[in-house]
Amino acid sequence: MEIKFVLNGKEVAADISPSIRLLDLLREKFELTGTKEGCGVGECGACTVLMNGKAVNSCLVLAAQVNNSEILTIEGITNGEELHPLQKNFLLNGAVQCGFCSPGMVLSSYALLEENPNPTDEEIKDAIAGNLCRCTGYKQIIDAVKQTAKELKVEVKV
Amino acid sequence: MIDIMCEVLTPKNLAEALLLLSSADSTTKILAGGTDVVVGKTQGSKRFADAETLIDINRIEELKGISEKNGMISIGAAATFSEICKSKLVEEKLPLLKKASNTIGSLQIRNRATIAGNFVNNAPCADTVPALLVYDASIEIKSQTATRNVSLQEFLQGPYKTLLQQGELVTRILIPVPQQNYAGDFYKLGRRRAVAISRLTLAVVIQLKEKKIGDIRIASGAVTPIGTRFPKLEEFAIGQKMTDNLCQELAKKMGEEVLAVTGLRWSSAYKLPVVQQMFYQLLKGLER
Repeated sequence: MEIKFVLNGKEVAADISPSIRLLDLLREKFELTGTKEGCGVGECGACTVLMNGKAVNSCLVLAAQVNNSEILTIEGITNGEELHPLQKNFLLNGAVQCGFCSPGMVLSSYALLEENPNPTDEEIKDAIAGNLCRCTGYKQIIDAVKQTAKELKVEVKV
Repeated sequence: MIDIMCEVLTPKNLAEALLLLSSADSTTKILAGGTDVVVGKTQGSKRFADAETLIDINRIEELKGISEKNGMISIGAAATFSEICKSKLVEEKLPLLKKASNTIGSLQIRNRATIAGNFVNNAPCADTVPALLVYDASIEIKSQTATRNVSLQEFLQGPYKTLLQQGELVTRILIPVPQQNYAGDFYKLGRRRAVAISRLTLAVVIQLKEKKIGDIRIASGAVTPIGTRFPKLEEFAIGQKMTDNLCQELAKKMGEEVLAVTGLRWSSAYKLPVVQQMFYQLLKGLER
């Protein structure tokens, strides 16, 4: 079937089987390999992308369901070559070790900050509870999100 | 690349969906959040082995929304748990449903998974079932030719068995607005707080009049083969004075009732004291 959707701000179309996963559509059809496959059953969050602004597991969404929606992947949050403040702060805080959970972590945090620019520690933990990290440790990740929230707030004020 | 090899139909409204269902056989399944169906297909679950066609109900407005009318709260079958958690109406009038919805999976799951999807397969671990049972929820079921309402308790026939017939779709969940003087609580025990399948869930609502129990409704999930109310226990409690002794006695009886339903299992030595303590703590929290 032919589907049309907005991918990282650009209108795109694809002629694909309706029952492949969004995860595979992104990685194999559009060659956006920043989205990772971990468990494949919706438990680890490595494949997190934003669908109409909401964090979803792309391993649980079928291509047919993507038709006419908006998808944002990790490749879509940079400003050209410049990293998004969340990405910069993940690096500055040592919140990336092996990096496999990072795209999902960053996108879950991105969705959180869009909705709640001033989250508490508990709200951050709740937002990333569906993203498993097995090596970096969550403290650095939470620190990175907090620092980003602070920076973005200053920018808005100016 | 994983392809679950199904045709996916996307009806735009309820009439279209019911028309598609009217000519469908058992190889057609409903797809909403996909958190059960897609995983079931990719993991080769027997429950979805024969599925060839999926009807995606996500874009049907009639199956969305949460509203109140004539003392009834109506929740669309395809309302997601994120929508339920954010609803002021649910927060104010159905706090146990909010609490139960909040314990489901992760934010990513709650953004997709729907309320009807939680109980329509009658998996024993459905987290919202005990909350819906103590609120006396009923469900509206439609086919192309008829509409019927059944209580949720009646709908849930046995593990993975419900009253849903071929060609039918759960369209709304209907809950009478609880009276002001009811208090209640819900507790889920899982291996961890997020993305955990529940081991034990309990819900209770209680109406106290001068320390006496005017009404009490008790329901379990996961610890029993399907979510269920405890009518004998409720009957025993009604009219009694809410004391520490009564809470202990009710907790003990709850354990006996659970054991009577499940039989003695290898896990009973652990589960029984836990379910009793959980129930005792829930009751104590409501003693005031």
